[in-house]
Amino acid sequence: MDNIPMLEVRGLCKNFETNEVLSGVSFNIEKGEVVAVIGPSGSGKSTMLRCINLLERIDGGSISIAGDMMVHTNNNKKVVYAQKSQLRKIRLRLGMVFQSFNLFPHFSVTQNITEAQIHVAKKDPRNAAETANELLKKVGLSDKADAYPYQLSGGQCQRVAIARALAMNPDILFFDEPTSALDPELTAEVLKVIQDLAAEHMTMVVVTHEMGFARDVADRVIFMDKGLIVEEGKPANIFSNPQNGRTKAFLKSIF
Amino acid sequence: MLENIDNILQDLFRLFRLLGIGALTSLKIFFLTLIFSMPLGLAVAFGRMSKNKLINSIVRFFILVMRGTPLILQIMFIYYAPSFMLPEGMKINIDRFVAAIIAFSLNYSAYFAEIYRGGIESISQGQYEAAAVLGFTKVQTFFKIIVPQVIKRILPSISNEVITLVKDTALVTTLGISELYRAAKNEAARVFSTVPLFVAGLFYLFMNSIVTKIFDKIEKKLSYYR
Repeated sequence: MDNIPMLEVRGLCKNFETNEVLSGVSFNIEKGEVVAVIGPSGSGKSTMLRCINLLERIDGGSISIAGDMMVHTNNNKKVVYAQKSQLRKIRLRLGMVFQSFNLFPHFSVTQNITEAQIHVAKKDPRNAAETANELLKKVGLSDKADAYPYQLSGGQCQRVAIARALAMNPDILFFDEPTSALDPELTAEVLKVIQDLAAEHMTMVVVTHEMGFARDVADRVIFMDKGLIVEEGKPANIFSNPQNGRTKAFLKSIF
Repeated sequence: MLENIDNILQDLFRLFRLLGIGALTSLKIFFLTLIFSMPLGLAVAFGRMSKNKLINSIVRFFILVMRGTPLILQIMFIYYAPSFMLPEGMKINIDRFVAAIIAFSLNYSAYFAEIYRGGIESISQGQYEAAAVLGFTKVQTFFKIIVPQVIKRILPSISNEVITLVKDTALVTTLGISELYRAAKNEAARVFSTVPLFVAGLFYLFMNSIVTKIFDKIEKKLSYYR
């Protein structure tokens, strides 16, 4: 059987003004994999996630989702994105959870989860509500269905954000430092949700500073620095036996 | 004695009726201005936020002139300008009331535009990004996610403008349109008393207390979240 990778990134380049934030990043994500992306601030981890989720326009390279081309660079070095309709379809296969949650404050928890289902996926409101109920149960927030984001703690907000992303049934779920804005107590409850998703073989890419999580939950770890992938491999190898000098230095600074 | 009280009451009743008719004109100006300037203000706001340099500079100039010159002069300008611009001999008659509404609408659209812009720009980028990754179109994002949040934020500023508008209606007196203020001024001169002016003040206060109450109600309705 032909195993097309769920996500294929080749030579990804991104500049902000004169600053080269991504200098040619290439990697694959297979279906069902959980990949942790670690590295110092400014290494381009978040930018990479944002480029894949169409929040930034790339300056070079190519990205494809399950074989469908999202963007590529032609022979004339020109970056060409797929048609809007194609991009829209691809977008529905991707989900993202942000560091600052980005819940919609004027919607209740349930409405946050059902709104996109109803107006983007065109689901029947009752089905959407059912899905919301199930997902709230899954993340342990059934009792907060009618609460508003301002009434929730950070950890609860993030769990709602995860439920909101899951409601759209994405093929890949991206997490951009999901627990960086949370204190250690609240971090644990969010990591538990992500761990449960991993057990269900949800394809996920998690940019994180939580090394314990990366070591215990990820199938693969990618270490980035200065816009490039420096080293990648199984958590056991990366954390116990890093090959590259920069990886060693970074890990030493953490532990 | 009773006859005196009866006279006073009759005079007061007459005064209230007179000022009431003037107030109706004030209210006409008030509602028409809001109906035109609030949507127009949104268009101006978009122009102000446009990335197109030409549109952006034209709109910025418009906002500068509208906010930077007195409304009372703008009213006179709109009324007299067409006559000055046409060749000798030709005369154009704009209805005074129409000229006033045009001037008011243009003027207030500039203020509303900046209020809208302030509200829209205060919404964090994260809201747009979350909506985008969920698959909402730009239009859906604007009307379902952004606008509801903006409305709540700009309510106090909007109430400022609306209350000011109630009082600004007095400026049409420059074109000789008879509204509340002019009616009061004329009556005060006629009876050599300041009572009509004081009563006019009460009328304005009454109208603005209704406006204030309405905004309070709306604010309360939107307080279901923070």
